[in-house]
Amino acid sequence: MSDPGAPAVEARGLGRDYGATRALDALDLVVPRGALVGLLGPNGAGKTTTMLLLATLLAPTRGAAALFGHDVVRARRAARRTLGLVFQEPSVDGVLTVRENLRFAARLAGLAGGAARDAVAAAIARMGLADRADQPGRALSGGWRRLVDIARATLHRPALLILDEPTVGLDPEHRARLWAFLDAERRAHGTTILFSTHYLAEAEPADRVLFLAHGRAVADGTPGTLVAPFGSAVLELDGPGAHAVADALAAEGLAREVVPTAAGCRVGLGGHRERALELAGRADGVTRAVVRAPTLEDAYFARTQAAPGRGAAA
Amino acid sequence: MSTLATIHGIVARDLRRATRQPSRLLGGIARPFVWLLLVAAGFNRIATVGADLTYQQFAYPGVLVMAVLFGGALTAISTVYDREFGMLRLMLASPAGPAVVLAGRTIAATAVGLLQGVIVLGAAPFVVHAGPGQLARALLALAAGALVSALLGLLVAARLRSVENFAGVINVLLFPLLFISGALYPTAHLPGPLGFVARVNPLTHFVELLRRTFGQPVEFSLATNVAALAAWAAAAFLLAALLFDPEQRFIGPARRGARG
Repeated sequence: MSDPGAPAVEARGLGRDYGATRALDALDLVVPRGALVGLLGPNGAGKTTTMLLLATLLAPTRGAAALFGHDVVRARRAARRTLGLVFQEPSVDGVLTVRENLRFAARLAGLAGGAARDAVAAAIARMGLADRADQPGRALSGGWRRLVDIARATLHRPALLILDEPTVGLDPEHRARLWAFLDAERRAHGTTILFSTHYLAEAEPADRVLFLAHGRAVADGTPGTLVAPFGSAVLELDGPGAHAVADALAAEGLAREVVPTAAGCRVGLGGHRERALELAGRADGVTRAVVRAPTLEDAYFARTQAAPGRGAAA
Repeated sequence: MSTLATIHGIVARDLRRATRQPSRLLGGIARPFVWLLLVAAGFNRIATVGADLTYQQFAYPGVLVMAVLFGGALTAISTVYDREFGMLRLMLASPAGPAVVLAGRTIAATAVGLLQGVIVLGAAPFVVHAGPGQLARALLALAAGALVSALLGLLVAARLRSVENFAGVINVLLFPLLFISGALYPTAHLPGPLGFVARVNPLTHFVELLRRTFGQPVEFSLATNVAALAAWAAAAFLLAALLFDPEQRFIGPARRGARG
């Protein structure tokens, strides 16, 4: 039985092993209805496994999850009714036209007759696909295929959209179009969106962001709270002398976070930009020193790089 | 209602895919005619099958089986294609679930197998003695055989992950099943194990249904033929339904990886 007050997603100790590999350890996640939540992490962090578990396509090895109160194992069918799914690769049948692809999706969602026709027509109009509606899927560019994919996933007005790297491979124009559409859907219908992405700027507008690394959640909060430890500014240092400068800043109590990078390090500053630049300017072996505002990327590297390695399945 | 909508959607899509790739259909129809016109016609002079039949007349029910078998089973290839390109994952995550997806796939593949069989059946008046009643009974037999052929193909496709593997397994599985079915030569005198395989082979019973229709000698009773095909269809559907579940929850956890 569905609980009208239940969150869109509730996972408790959710985990999955593949043989001896622990892909997802024990995830606790509550996504309120209508929220926009990003799952961020490097490849192999457990993002896709989390989404497949929530989509009922994988069975958990441990823990439990529910969508709007429907358990993803015991009430799979009810949980699936709440879902719209987009995976990394566009799932558009190249032999069928765009309209036929959408009609197929409508019927998969259980819509028949006039309801299916209306849903397809509305999806074509919303996504601006009218000029391409009668083209075969194989004639579309990757960007348009992805937009068809989004139209497919949303045409039955799911309460929860799960999007696994929906913008991978898209040019900036299609990416902007996709996010504008999703934002409009969310505002108009209160759709909950759980997404993963490697483009960290896409997660900045999220209500909440979860960093995953080695199958574990290593940070969880609003973009603002995740970035807060970096203070008011970040000093980017390149060159072999970067870490000596970071040490000097730490000794003076100016470094709030130090994150190694391929070329040097990033230092979160609690103010005192001038002093930090002065130290960097005097140091040997610093090839570049730049002060800028902190971003989610700084928090991402700080939390995912510091995470301990993956555990083995019992 | 939503289950019917899902089945409708899957059948409509699979039939569109089949009809928009005419080379597949033409190939499926050409193969039995090549056997009938080139191979069987040549064997007429050297093969003795008794019962006052030419080899071409003897082989005709087998050629019908060939048309239906390859039409139905190979249509199941779209399941492997869909798995490889991510579409099957979306279908299995639909509210209807794996068994309904399998039912839709079965109906579509059965229709394609039946269509290919009906086209080859059009040659019946030129090869065997076939009146309207015999043709009607042959149609029923083709439908039953197409259903079993479709389910055999889906059973194989249920666990395969690449189209290349599917083609290999189908060739290794379907041709031996066809050869040990009495479709192209009598199997009554096959030695022990092969004789046993021939008796439990669903295609043996499909061939016999057609031979019976055209008044040719048969080994089993009609009830045995029908029961054997029904048992194969039920067993193949149940097993394929279990295998279609992405996690095979009834027979143990999957050992697949996921990226990211």
